[in-house]
Amino acid sequence: MNKLAAKYLRPSQIPTKACHGCGIGMIENWLLQAIDELGLKQEDVVLGTGIGCVGRQTYATWGGDNFGATHGRALAVATGLKLAQPDKKYLIVVGDGDAASIGTSHLIHAARRNLGVVLICEDNMGYQSTGGQFSPTTPAGYVSNSSPYGMVEPSFDPCDVVKAAGATFVAESTATQWHQTVKLVKKALQNDGFSFVHIRFPCNENFGAYALGTRDTLKNLDWIYEHTQGRKADGSESDFTWETGIKHDASNSRPEFTRILRDMNARVRADMAAKAAAAGAKP
Amino acid sequence: MPTLDLAVKETLVAPWVDWARRATQGRRLLEAGTYALTEGAIAAGCRIFAGYPITPATDIAEYMSKRLPQVGGYYMQCEDELAGMHACAGGSLGGLKAMTATSGPGYTLMHDAYGWAITNEIPMVVVDAMRVGPISGITGAPGQGEFYVARYCTHGGNFETIVLSPSSVQEAFWLTIDAFNLAERFRTPVTILTDQVISDMWEDLFLPDDYAGLDFVVPRKHNLMMPFFPLGGAELDVAPNVIGHGTGVCVSAYTHTEEGYDIEEMEAQWAQTYRLINKVRHNRAECTRYETVGLDDAEVVAVAYGANARTVKTGVLEARRRGVRAGFVRPITLWPFLDELYEADRHYVVCELNYDGQLVREVMRAAPDKNKVHFMGKSAELHTVAEVVAGLEGVARSGRLPELPYIWTEVR
Repeated sequence: MNKLAAKYLRPSQIPTKACHGCGIGMIENWLLQAIDELGLKQEDVVLGTGIGCVGRQTYATWGGDNFGATHGRALAVATGLKLAQPDKKYLIVVGDGDAASIGTSHLIHAARRNLGVVLICEDNMGYQSTGGQFSPTTPAGYVSNSSPYGMVEPSFDPCDVVKAAGATFVAESTATQWHQTVKLVKKALQNDGFSFVHIRFPCNENFGAYALGTRDTLKNLDWIYEHTQGRKADGSESDFTWETGIKHDASNSRPEFTRILRDMNARVRADMAAKAAAAGAKP
Repeated sequence: MPTLDLAVKETLVAPWVDWARRATQGRRLLEAGTYALTEGAIAAGCRIFAGYPITPATDIAEYMSKRLPQVGGYYMQCEDELAGMHACAGGSLGGLKAMTATSGPGYTLMHDAYGWAITNEIPMVVVDAMRVGPISGITGAPGQGEFYVARYCTHGGNFETIVLSPSSVQEAFWLTIDAFNLAERFRTPVTILTDQVISDMWEDLFLPDDYAGLDFVVPRKHNLMMPFFPLGGAELDVAPNVIGHGTGVCVSAYTHTEEGYDIEEMEAQWAQTYRLINKVRHNRAECTRYETVGLDDAEVVAVAYGANARTVKTGVLEARRRGVRAGFVRPITLWPFLDELYEADRHYVVCELNYDGQLVREVMRAAPDKNKVHFMGKSAELHTVAEVVAGLEGVARSGRLPELPYIWTEVR
C-alpha cells in the first residue's frame, strides 16, 4: 500500500477485486492525492458509488463513510444525504453506465439544482462488468460484445449534457493525465455546487480485448493516450480526439441547492416568528 | 324475527387508542386524508419529503412543501419516483426521518429504492394511495391492487415488510405516527397502503397542539459503532446507521458483512436473510393492529380494509339488525399478515376493491376451511351497504354468495 492509500483507505478492502491492469485503482489514488492536497480528512468526505466495475471496485475502500447505491441512483441518494449532512464533501464515483445511461436523469437534475457534490465519472466506455457491451460513451463504430459489427449508435459526451443542464464545474481528463486529473479534482472539490469530472480509462479484459484487440495494459493506455493527444505514435492523426481540461468553470457562481433550501427555511421561520410576535403584541 | 344483541362488541387493537386518550389538548378540523397523513408525519418528526406528484397523493406533496420549511425540514420535488425514494433513503441515512408518497404507478418505480432501504435497514415511510388499475387506470377512483405488491415491494426475496392501512382521516393521522415508530424500531421502510377515497375524503380530524410533547413518538437514534448490521439476530430497537458522523459505516446494494462490506458467501447471505425476515416475524406482536366487530357470536364475518371497510362495517351492523349473526374484521396491519384473525371455523366474506382477488387468497390460506371463504370483489367504487347485507344474508342462509351485479366472486 502506498502512503495515500494507507492514510485514507481500508487495508482490508485493498487491493480490490479489479482485473489485472484496471485503471480504477490508479484513478482512485489520484482522487486521494487531490483530497490530501486540500487537507481533507476521512471524516470530511463521504464516498458514494454505484454499480458495475467502478461501483464495485471503489465501494467501501474509503476509510470514512461509504455508500454504494443501486444502479444509477448514487446522485439521488446523495441529494437526500446532502440535505441531512450539508457540511460534508461528497465524492460520488461512478462509471459511464451509472452517469451516462441508467442515471442520466439524476445527473441532469443534480446539475440543474447545482447540488453540492463532485461526480467523478470513470468511463471505461462500456458495460465491462457484464462482459463488455457498448454504452452511450462507447466510440461510434467500435466493436463490443453487443456490437459485434461496430456500435451503430452515436455516442454522447456527458460533459456537454451537464454543462447545458447548469453544472458549475465541468472537466474531462483521461487515465494518461495524472497531474491534470489531480488539479481538476481539486478544483471540483473547491466548488460549492455541482462538479463533474469525466475520466476515461482503459479496460483490458473487454474493451481492450474486443474493440482494440489486445489485453496488454500498456497498449490500451497507448490507445487512450493517442486519443487524448489526437495523434498516434507515428505522428498521424487519431480517428477522433477527446478534448480534455476544464470545459466549464463557474465555480461558486450561484448558490448550492441545499443552501437555497436552508435559506428558504430560515426565511419562512423568521416570517412565522415575526407574525407570531405581532399577533402577541396585539391587545 | 330473531333478535341479536345490538350492543355488539367492538375491538380496536392499535396503539392510538391509548394515544387519543392521552393527547387531549388540540384542535378539531374538517380536513382531508392527505392533510392528516402530512400532519401525522410532521408530528412523528418527519423532516424530509422527496417525491413526485401523482394523483391521488399529490396533496401530500403540496402540504409537505408548505409544512416542512415551517418546522426546519426539507421538501424535494424529484425528477421521478426513483429519485424520490432514493433521496428519502439518503436523507434518512443522514439522520432525518423521511417520507415519500405516491400511487401505484410511482410505487412500482420505487422498488429498487425499497429493496435498498430494506437491505440497509433504513427507516422511512412510503404512502401508496391506491387507485384502480392496472397502470394509470382511473386516477380518481379507489382501488386495492397493491396488496401483494406492497408485500413483494422489491425483487430478490428474503425479506418481510410492514404495511398498514387506515380507514378514516383521523386514523390516517395516528397511523402515520405509528408507521414512523415501526420504521424506527424495525429499521425498515413501512408502507401506508391507503386509497383514493381515504386520501381525498374530508372528515373530522383532531390534531394535538403540541407535537413536541407527544411522548409516544419514537425519536431517531444514531448507531455510532459496529456492528452496523447485527446479522443473524432479530432484535428490535437497534439504532439506525448514520452517514456523516464519521463512523465508517458502509451501506450498499450487496449482501453485506456486519461492517457493511460486500461479500459473496452463502453464510453471509443466510445471516442477512435471517435478520431481515425474523426481525419482523419474531416481533409480529409489535406491529399487530386490527379492528373487529361481533366476533363473539358471528357465523359469517365480513373482511375489509381501507375505504370500503367503512361501508362493509355498516353493512355488517345492518345485517345484525336483520338477524344475521354477522361479524367484521378489519386488518389494519396488512403485512405481516394477521393469520390469527381467521382461525375460527366460520364463513368469511372478503370485500376488496379489485376483481382479481388478493386479500381473499391470504384469508383462504389462513382460514380452517377455504370453502367457507367467499370473495366479493368490486372495482373502482366502494361496496354498497345493500350489497354487503345481501352477501352476508346469502352466505348465512345458504353458505353461498348470491349473484349480484358488479360483484366478482370467482377466485381461482
